[in-house]
Amino acid sequence: MASFRLQIITPDRIFYDDEAERLIVRTTEGEMGILARHENFAGALPSGPVKIMKDGNYRTAALSSGVIKVSADKTTIIAEAVEWADEIDIEWANRSAEEAREKLKNLESDKELRYAELKLKRALNRINVHSGNYKQ
Amino acid sequence: MASANMKDIKRRIKSVKSTMQITKAMELVASSKFRKAREKADSAKLFFDALYDTMWEITAENSTFESIYYSGREVKTVMFIVIAGDRGLAGGYNANVIRLAESRIKEVQKNCDAVIIPIGKKAVEYFTKRGYRVVASYENIAENIRMSSAKEIADKVMAAFRNGNTDRVELIYTDYVSPLLQEAKTKSIIPLEKPAEEKKKNIQTSYEPSPERLFDIIMPQYIAGVIYGSVSNSFASEQAARRTAMENASDNADEMINDLSLLYNRARQAAITQEITEIVSGANSQE
Repeated sequence: MASFRLQIITPDRIFYDDEAERLIVRTTEGEMGILARHENFAGALPSGPVKIMKDGNYRTAALSSGVIKVSADKTTIIAEAVEWADEIDIEWANRSAEEAREKLKNLESDKELRYAELKLKRALNRINVHSGNYKQ
Repeated sequence: MASANMKDIKRRIKSVKSTMQITKAMELVASSKFRKAREKADSAKLFFDALYDTMWEITAENSTFESIYYSGREVKTVMFIVIAGDRGLAGGYNANVIRLAESRIKEVQKNCDAVIIPIGKKAVEYFTKRGYRVVASYENIAENIRMSSAKEIADKVMAAFRNGNTDRVELIYTDYVSPLLQEAKTKSIIPLEKPAEEKKKNIQTSYEPSPERLFDIIMPQYIAGVIYGSVSNSFASEQAARRTAMENASDNADEMINDLSLLYNRARQAAITQEITEIVSGANSQE
């Protein structure tokens, strides 16, 4: 199967810099799959799972808000944080989700609502990816 | 007389030695922190560059592109984000960046208002004491800067821009060039700074959602990225500056100790010679 170069960059590391055969991401507009020779594309990624196929095997990672840019020579994902499913600190994610839920119960402002929602989304995404329990 | 002088010199040697111990220790701490900070700054730079390129590609690939963050608007208030250190004793690090900030602010104040967000204790102290309009301040975040704190600052900046409280945002930070050279620089955040070489591309890219919407979605992330990158870059510069300053201080102390030891030995010899002369002349007078 034809492969393409994929780079996933976060502030503290280059998460992925290798060939990939297939990439599945969730953009603001919906889910999309990317294969080699995809048309040039740019889109925004909210928190969600990322699936990467390499040598015929899928690996899943949890991504927290980013951008995807597909061009002829490579595909780049720039994200705030990305973790492989087995790297996720599940206890921390659970705690974080709990905190966000707590926050949502006693809100003081709109800004807090937005923060808490985003935090909950990130945490749930991590929990789902970790447990392999997400809809693709 | 001679013995009093000797005691004096001995005391000075001791005090220089203890100062040298401190500067040596600070040098070691700074160089180990520097290594870590440098790695962090390097990876943050990659992230930031990729983000910046993407932003620019959006504007370059769409001839009809229009965004308030890109073209800017009439300027009444300029916001300055000034990044300095939390601690002193780093050579010219804090002074340089604050001097640059001050001159930029003075320049802007001729025509419009200036508001300041200082990051780092030294910057916070400087600008609050002198009666500048400080809208938010952050201390002790540089060493372990996380994306979440950068986002918090970025949110403040975006909100101020959206509410019309500020029309332009500039960042003043220290760029790490080499272990011996760190440069204070300014960077325009809003409107987006043009790249050194403009590359107009004629590539068809499909955007989802529209280029404008995408640009506006990325903008807060971009600002957080700029702040994150500049803070880690500045922190690496601070450690490099401190290491150099402390190295120089230790070298100076070493030199001083050498000079003082020479003086001490001379004084000791003079005292011995004098004693011998006294003994000999005493013996001579006995005969």
